[in-house]
Amino acid sequence: MGDIDDSHFETGDSGASATYPMQCSALRKNGFVMLKGRPCKIVEMSTSKTGKHGHAKVHLVGIDIFSGKKYEDICPSTHNMDVPHVKREDYQLTDISDDGYLSLMSDNGDLREDLKVPEGELGTQLRADYDAGKDILCTVLKSCGEEVVIAVKTNTALDK
Amino acid sequence: MTDQIIAELESAANIIMAPPNVVTNEQRHTAESIFLDFRKTKSPYNICREILEKSGNPYVMFEAAEVMKNAIIREWGFLLDSDKVSLRQYLFEYVITHETPPYVRERILQVIAIMVKRSSIDDNGRERGNLLREVENLIVNSEPQKKILGCNIIIHLMQEYATTVKSTDVGLSWEVHFKAKKQFQATDLKRIFQFTIYLLTEVGKSDMPFADNMVELVGHLLKILEMVLTWGYVSPLLPKKLIGIYEAVYEADVAPALKLPESWAEYVFNPDLLPLMFQIYWKVRDNDQLSHPALACLVQLASLSGRVMLEDEPRMRYLHSYLKAFFNLVSNVTIKSRESVGIANIVKKLIIFFSQDILKLTKHIKDTLLDEFTRLTCHFCEGAALEEAQEEDRNFSDAFDGMLEAWTSILQEFGPATVDNNLSDCAKRVFEKYVQCRLAPPDGCRRPQPDVEKGEETDDSDKELYKDQLQAIGLFGRAIAGSSVPLLFNLLESRTSTLFNSFQEIRNRTLSIGEASGLDTLYEDIHWILLIAGQVLCFDREGNETMMIPSEIIRYSIDCCSRGQCTVEASLQALQLAENNSIMPADFEKCDHIIRLFFDVMKLCYVEDYVISSGMKQFLSPELGSTIMWFLNRFCVNYLTPIESYYTEMSPTILGCLGVDTEGAQLVIRYVLKKIQSNVYYFQSETQLLQETIDCFCHIVSNKHKSIHIVNTTSLRQLVVLCESLEPGTMPQNGFRGMYRGFSLCGACLSAEPERMRSYFVGIMGSLQTRFEAVCTIQGGLASKAEDQRTLVVIVDLLEAFIGLAKGALMPTATLLFEFLAPILNEMHAFMSAFNNYHVIVQLILELFGQVAKYMLCYLSPMDSKRLYESALATVQTYAKCNMNRFTTESFAEDTSFQDLVLVLELLTFIISKDCFDLCVTSNDEEITVTASDVSLFGLSFILPLMSMDLLKYPSLCMQYYRLLVLVNDIYPEKICGLPQDLLQNLLKSIEFGLTEFGSDIVQICLDFLLGMASYVYRHKLVNTPLYAGLRPFLKILIDLTLTHQINSDLMSTASASIYALICCYQEDYRALVESLLQMQSDPMTRERLAAAFNNLVLNVEMNCERVPKLRFRDNFDKFIANVHGFLLIK
Repeated sequence: MGDIDDSHFETGDSGASATYPMQCSALRKNGFVMLKGRPCKIVEMSTSKTGKHGHAKVHLVGIDIFSGKKYEDICPSTHNMDVPHVKREDYQLTDISDDGYLSLMSDNGDLREDLKVPEGELGTQLRADYDAGKDILCTVLKSCGEEVVIAVKTNTALDK
Repeated sequence: MTDQIIAELESAANIIMAPPNVVTNEQRHTAESIFLDFRKTKSPYNICREILEKSGNPYVMFEAAEVMKNAIIREWGFLLDSDKVSLRQYLFEYVITHETPPYVRERILQVIAIMVKRSSIDDNGRERGNLLREVENLIVNSEPQKKILGCNIIIHLMQEYATTVKSTDVGLSWEVHFKAKKQFQATDLKRIFQFTIYLLTEVGKSDMPFADNMVELVGHLLKILEMVLTWGYVSPLLPKKLIGIYEAVYEADVAPALKLPESWAEYVFNPDLLPLMFQIYWKVRDNDQLSHPALACLVQLASLSGRVMLEDEPRMRYLHSYLKAFFNLVSNVTIKSRESVGIANIVKKLIIFFSQDILKLTKHIKDTLLDEFTRLTCHFCEGAALEEAQEEDRNFSDAFDGMLEAWTSILQEFGPATVDNNLSDCAKRVFEKYVQCRLAPPDGCRRPQPDVEKGEETDDSDKELYKDQLQAIGLFGRAIAGSSVPLLFNLLESRTSTLFNSFQEIRNRTLSIGEASGLDTLYEDIHWILLIAGQVLCFDREGNETMMIPSEIIRYSIDCCSRGQCTVEASLQALQLAENNSIMPADFEKCDHIIRLFFDVMKLCYVEDYVISSGMKQFLSPELGSTIMWFLNRFCVNYLTPIESYYTEMSPTILGCLGVDTEGAQLVIRYVLKKIQSNVYYFQSETQLLQETIDCFCHIVSNKHKSIHIVNTTSLRQLVVLCESLEPGTMPQNGFRGMYRGFSLCGACLSAEPERMRSYFVGIMGSLQTRFEAVCTIQGGLASKAEDQRTLVVIVDLLEAFIGLAKGALMPTATLLFEFLAPILNEMHAFMSAFNNYHVIVQLILELFGQVAKYMLCYLSPMDSKRLYESALATVQTYAKCNMNRFTTESFAEDTSFQDLVLVLELLTFIISKDCFDLCVTSNDEEITVTASDVSLFGLSFILPLMSMDLLKYPSLCMQYYRLLVLVNDIYPEKICGLPQDLLQNLLKSIEFGLTEFGSDIVQICLDFLLGMASYVYRHKLVNTPLYAGLRPFLKILIDLTLTHQINSDLMSTASASIYALICCYQEDYRALVESLLQMQSDPMTRERLAAAFNNLVLNVEMNCERVPKLRFRDNFDKFIANVHGFLLIK
């Protein structure tokens, strides 16, 4: 994916920047941060300092939320880091088109058909569940202009 | 025939030893199976003898010895006495007359030792006596190599007897091992000792340097002697577990004391013994190989105690003799790094075992002793300083710590130092040497530290790293408060003013590199002065005990006051001037010395303020900032508003300046809260400093005698306002949590005034509630704001604050706080649903419930508890719903679910604790029937489907899960019994898994679980229930695990209890199981022995699940396992 024209699907964040600044020391494990220009989830965070009487530095290890690649960075704790806006939304899967696009319905009934079936294991699982007639929820992850189905969840009678 | 076997074995050995490229895998396997078959040979003694005689292949010879060893263990009971003797004699002759590779020889020696031990059980050690006589002859009369062989035989013999609990020689039960050891130590151990001393006397006469074979012989002799002196002398009074601990000691540093019975008197009181041992040590101390065991012997001799030492006269003579030789050594040589730890150990042991006797010595000897100890301590202290700078071995550092440990007793038992000039002089020398080693030149001798990147997360701050050292130095400082306190404030004042001057100079210009490192040197100095001062003025806090001002300090302050040296007025004036940063007070010299140290720290804080306001914050040291907060914390906790009635005497100056309702106390509170405020504002980015600041705040307010003077102050209000006004998302993790915990703790002091308490908490909670409501009423529902970062950080901050409030809840405040928190908790399932994709929030919500359950639930009424259960279950259920059947590509997903589940399990565990620990004071009128364990199990049923076996491999999750199971099991076995079928299946599956997949702590839990369940099933006769069927397979599982050595021997007694309970439930199954095990044995003799063993196992044991038969079964089982492991080869 990647060649999708965002402009059709702008929501409330039009014009807003893809990231916002946050002081390094206020970041948290499991939160998000931009590392080497990529939106990442922080999986490890530790502090160190230069010399005994020096100031704190934060060592961050993050995993690219789209590609799963690992990135690291070290930064003085007083500096600001960019934090990506990350939106994760659940959609009901209504159909899969012949050319591999998903028909997704949001909570408020809006339909979209611009996302492809994800590649790899997840895509196989999704198709299998769909073919088995299961009720499927897709989690769509969106950040920094990229958008992708990151998880699927089959609904059981218990759920909403 | 035998030649053919030998040839076959030799060629197989060649294949096994061949490099991988020469032989095929198949060949190797065939060769291995030849040896495996060989190991199963019955009565292999003749063939093994042939091998030893004829084969030159060391591998085959080694195998032969090994096969013999196992056969002897297995077949001992069937061997003829004459065969045993001739075999033992043959092997003894063999090692003397044949040159064999060391590993073959060692194994043969072990076989001899095992045989000797085995026969000594029947013949009271007669055979052993014969052997020792032969060995002694060998050592005295033969050439050097034979002498060493003789020593090796003795060493092997001792090793065989030394351990009873973890003995390699299976086939004997522990009791028999124990008896054998007792017999050996009562007879031949002394003989070995005496013989060794005799040989060492000869060594003492010879000149250095020794020839090579002499060095080897002396090494062996010292090793034997060290073994005798560190021998775990068993006493029948000790339980088996403790004996096991004693026997597990291999390092002489931590060896148990040399505790001997009266019968040793003639050996250890030999007047030549100690001079000889010191003489030997002196001779060998330059030899790495020999000095260690020789010194270890001296250390052990310094710990001589037990019944042999009951009589005063010989004991004093022994001590005299020891000290004389010891002084002679240490005053004539310079102690080297390598030997320093041993020397310190000697001092430590002397003080532990002889302190009362030392007090009875003449003044002259006592003074010499103190003087030598002081000299050694200072020497080690200097060495330690050098080691720290060079990051080398820590010999001197360890030795110094050891000396300090000894001094701790000396100062307490010889004291008070004030009446003994020599003692106080020594204390002063050590204290000053320590301070000197911590300061930079010219006053001190600290060398620049290697500049390494330091991680903060580990506990490697100086106050943790040097905690014991600093505590001991604090003790020295208090013993000589009259000189230590002035030394400290003078140093602190001079460093602070240098620091201030430096900053005034460098203001408005850039810093040169030299100046920057100069600042670091100053920071390091001040850091250490504060650490030492903090330890001199205050004891370390252990848990929640009430902190007291040390009596020596009070005494010192009183003395200064009564001499007219210090006055309350001058002290108070100093504090007032420091608060306003005014010039030095006129009467400053009359300020109380304790107050003066505090004044100096206020001055230091002023320098920090000055630097911040001049825009030079980046030059301050966060490390020093933390140390300042650490000092303020200690000072306030101990000295602020002291309770007079706790003390037998109290200083009027301390009371006048810091007592309840004094102007000084208010001033200090104001000052410290302002400092906290300033740190929270300026140093959020320094996590360590922030944490130290929060700790300081929480410690002070957690004491209600102090918080009552804080709770309604403007300063506290300002602190609350600061927390409310910080930009959302700027505070690091745990920041708000800590501050709000403090606010919550502080409110507890108003327990006598409910209205004031309510209004206090309204003041704290009001703004949080408003912000929370604002988030809840967001237009379009919570979910619409999920991507709005500002909302997210506001929610994170709020949750942190709520968690803090819960953590600070105490008995008087819990109900009120819950009233505030309940509506919030009630909304959490909606938050969980809306933000289920944001793990930071998901985890904070779970944590909030966990903390509320941990800190508040035990105080809550049944009604409130029910409200909490409902909100918690709704939230957990929502969590489960959001994560059930979820399939994701995210690589961190497993890690995140692990963290989530740990939190959920913690929550459920905290909830269930309500059933064991309930402090709710209200009556039980309310009709609430829900118990906490119902809630926990219900919650568990939601998340069990999410817990995959992969996730259980995370140790902490695993532990938490099994702990919860065992807790439910302990309190309410009937709840487990009533679980739905699939949940029960899952539970039992995980118990089965736990028996083999994880560590022994989990095995223990699983065994306990089975014991509890089986006993419950038996007592309630629950035949035909799902639980009955579910537990059934475990009988076979457990018996298989124990027979195949898969259960750790430490857990054997727990396992036996579980097996017993299971046998009670399934007696038919047990009989069938035994039958099938017997059928599996092809060898009739083995089958017969196994049948007999099974028979004895349940002999006279009633199968009724009662305590007495259970204990009898346990003892039987112990013997059963020892017996069966000896002959049953189950792989």
